Amino acid sequence: MGATTTHDIRIRGLTVQYPGRDRAALDGVSFDALPGTITAVVGPNGSGKSTIVRALLRRVAVAAGSISIGDNVVSAMDPRAFAQRVAVVPQREEPARALSVTDFVGLGRHAHRSAFGVMRTSDRAAIDRAMARAGMTDAMHQRIDQLSGGEWQRVRIARALAQEAAVLVLDEPTTFLDIGHEMAVFELLDAIAREGCTVLLVSHQLNLVARFASHIVLLHAGTVVASGSADVVMRGDVLEAVYDWPLVITRDPAVGAPSLLPLRRQARPVRDRVDAPTGRIT
Amino acid sequence: MINARDRRSTTFVVLVGLALLAMVALLGVAVGAVSIGLPDVVRALGGVGDPSVVAIVRDLRVPRVLVAACVGAGLAVSGSALQGTMRNALAEPYLLGVSGGAAVGAVVLMAVGISRPDVVTLGAFAGAALATLLVTALARVVGGSGDTRLLLMAGVIVGAFANACILVALADAPPEKLRGALWWMMGSAADATWPAVARVGAAVLVFGALLVWWARELDVLALGDDAAAALGVDVDRASRRMFLVASWLAAATVAAAGLIGFVGLVVPNLARGMGATRQRPMMLVSAVYGAALLVGADLLARTLRAPAELPLGAVTAIIGVPFFLFRLRRMSA
Amino acid sequence: MSYPVLASSRALFAVALAAIAISACARSADRAVEQSRASDDRSALQSRTISAADTDDFGAPLPTDARDAARVVSLNPTATEVIFAIGAESRLVGRSRWDEFPAQAASIPALGDGIRPNVEALLGARPTLVILYATEENRAAARALQRAGVRTLALRVDHIAQFMSLCAQLGVALDATERARVVADSVQRTLDRVRDATRGASPVTVVWPLWRAPVLVVGRGSYLDELLEIAGGRNVFHDFAAPSPAVSIEEIAKRNPDVLIASAKTSGELRASTAWRSVAAVRNQHLLLDDPSLTGRPSVVLGMAAVSLARLLHPDRAAALR
Repeated sequence: MGATTTHDIRIRGLTVQYPGRDRAALDGVSFDALPGTITAVVGPNGSGKSTIVRALLRRVAVAAGSISIGDNVVSAMDPRAFAQRVAVVPQREEPARALSVTDFVGLGRHAHRSAFGVMRTSDRAAIDRAMARAGMTDAMHQRIDQLSGGEWQRVRIARALAQEAAVLVLDEPTTFLDIGHEMAVFELLDAIAREGCTVLLVSHQLNLVARFASHIVLLHAGTVVASGSADVVMRGDVLEAVYDWPLVITRDPAVGAPSLLPLRRQARPVRDRVDAPTGRIT
Repeated sequence: MINARDRRSTTFVVLVGLALLAMVALLGVAVGAVSIGLPDVVRALGGVGDPSVVAIVRDLRVPRVLVAACVGAGLAVSGSALQGTMRNALAEPYLLGVSGGAAVGAVVLMAVGISRPDVVTLGAFAGAALATLLVTALARVVGGSGDTRLLLMAGVIVGAFANACILVALADAPPEKLRGALWWMMGSAADATWPAVARVGAAVLVFGALLVWWARELDVLALGDDAAAALGVDVDRASRRMFLVASWLAAATVAAAGLIGFVGLVVPNLARGMGATRQRPMMLVSAVYGAALLVGADLLARTLRAPAELPLGAVTAIIGVPFFLFRLRRMSA
Repeated sequence: MSYPVLASSRALFAVALAAIAISACARSADRAVEQSRASDDRSALQSRTISAADTDDFGAPLPTDARDAARVVSLNPTATEVIFAIGAESRLVGRSRWDEFPAQAASIPALGDGIRPNVEALLGARPTLVILYATEENRAAARALQRAGVRTLALRVDHIAQFMSLCAQLGVALDATERARVVADSVQRTLDRVRDATRGASPVTVVWPLWRAPVLVVGRGSYLDELLEIAGGRNVFHDFAAPSPAVSIEEIAKRNPDVLIASAKTSGELRASTAWRSVAAVRNQHLLLDDPSLTGRPSVVLGMAAVSLARLLHPDRAAALR
């Protein structure tokens, strides 16, 4: 699939101010998320990561700047049209009602269905595909209030996948997931990106992000502090300043990407050391 | 994919409800102060027999049963829609100023001496509709007309103001007007006439159909504002129109039969307990069981203390209290 | 969530409604109490001579000293009308705003409500005697007036006998016993004539709806029931002790009265209502229009009210009446 410009995410000068706070939640944030890649937004709590997602959903007022999908500005889009092009998995959600998993995932087709339209074959097929990709086919007839934390996350991802949108945005999708399920999600996102979708991810998991995302945006107090590949962004001095915690960056050849290791507070702050292929910390 | 098993069980529940409604409606037409044998009742329905009996059956009992059924269905559907929009199982149709506004409309008219039933009905509906618009406008001015807490607060404010107006209007009233106003507020299907049936039936059909049309949006709204926005719903606009239409449906029922509590609160919870998880089946189940409940309550209202009638609102409250005690026990279990 | 706020506002409303309901019930409750007292007097339809040992309807001693009646405020419509009838209106310095008869009463200053009156407004007229409507809700006002040194006379008329005794008591209190007796006797004579004229005629069964929502009809506790009996009618709801019991339309249809008596406005509404078609009297247009200016109050017009009812129920026999 060739590179197109119809479903990249372009964020330009995004500024959001929550009423009553003295500093802006986002101040002039700009970056792109390109199709075929995973773009990750990282940063400490309160840096404004989730605000980007809420601005995308038009749930907060944007003071300045814009978000566009391809050439279309998001604020001008009809909600249904938006949902057909962009699938968003918000950060938190409680299972409100005892729906079956199938019905729940089926809600992802809402933007494609008319008010009284019945479920068409295309809808059913999309739901089946989505559940298979998220590994939830076996849970088809269970109720969502009976799922474990990990299953709940995967079912929400399945719902987003059922939208069959070209852009996928996820806010902390791997909370409550164990290592195996977390890796499975990241590998799923990787596969989706390879198919040509644009994947934008907000995550705390710096190490996994470093391995899977081709573009990382580091946010701090509402501004972009660093942006680029993992090698560019994962630098000890920058990360220590942003996270205000002593840490060390290592690189293991089996992993192939820099890893961040936080240290105990009493250890002296250690500067950036990119290792030789031996993998030892010097 | 809609679970075939779910759909079958919902159909079964609806059919049971319809059977219940038919039974209760038949009882409602066959039972009353004057004892009329069943064959005579059936004949009277066709217009045959003693003119008094025919008139009692066709002009007294049948309109009452129909009004009770429409009001019960309307309240249940309205309650179901509001519970879905507010994501709260304790929401009920009178939350957004409906009861206060309707009562002001009716009581003020009665206090100035207008007692013609259709004029009072119109006044009640106008009062409720205006109050609802006032509530949404108030919430919008303050912050956001889709914000549940703001709406609730605005509903409380408008309701309190309405109560004050009612008390002022009634403070001076001579005993009969007072009694008439109280009687209206306590709810009754006793004044049901065929024109009233047409009015409330039309309102329930029109507003109810709108709510059922928008029912799937409610399923999405139930996920939360962010998730709903992500799935393509204009959250503010969808919530607002749901509130208004659900409230106007409730207003039409209040205009027809006064203030009747508990139906809009209890029946949707009942429907959920019977397994309806999606909004559209839940509304249909609620409509059927709400109608049956109120027809039954009206029957009790006119037989428990014959020849005097109990207010309908009192009977539904009597039914509602043990229901909630039961639910409370189950919730804590 | 703000549900506690909701719950409290609903609770407030419920409490307010309950307060109104309780006061309404208190009114009807003490009306029932007065019923049982008055029913003893029902048989004695003659005017009685009142002695100083008698008490008013609150049990307070009767004012017999004429000086006590120099400045009189009457908050009782029947009393106001009788005061004019016995020619003692020069003593009247105030009335309640509901006292509309006779027409000349309009010249007397209106001092507010007759139930729970504004005691301050009353005292502002510097009365020596206040005639109250004898209901439980006026006990507090009576006490307050007595504490201020004003004499009170509490009366009510639910039955014809009570009207007679009201005339006598007012006669004693206002030093117009002879004229009071004339008024009472005149009413009594008219009632006797009506009773004689309709004697022997087969009674016409009657239902008399007083209100539509809820459906209130005349019961045994009302003077209208007595008037009906005198005029040769029989109230189908005579078995209900209350003055205006609530019943259902179906019950009325069941008891199937010959005629239905109502005001012109109510009759129009009943004819137009589909629900009332179940009552044979409505269906067959046996609707008799009563004259509320005569029947609407238990006062000096009681005699004429009986005549008008007799004319409705037994027109041939009542033709001779004047």
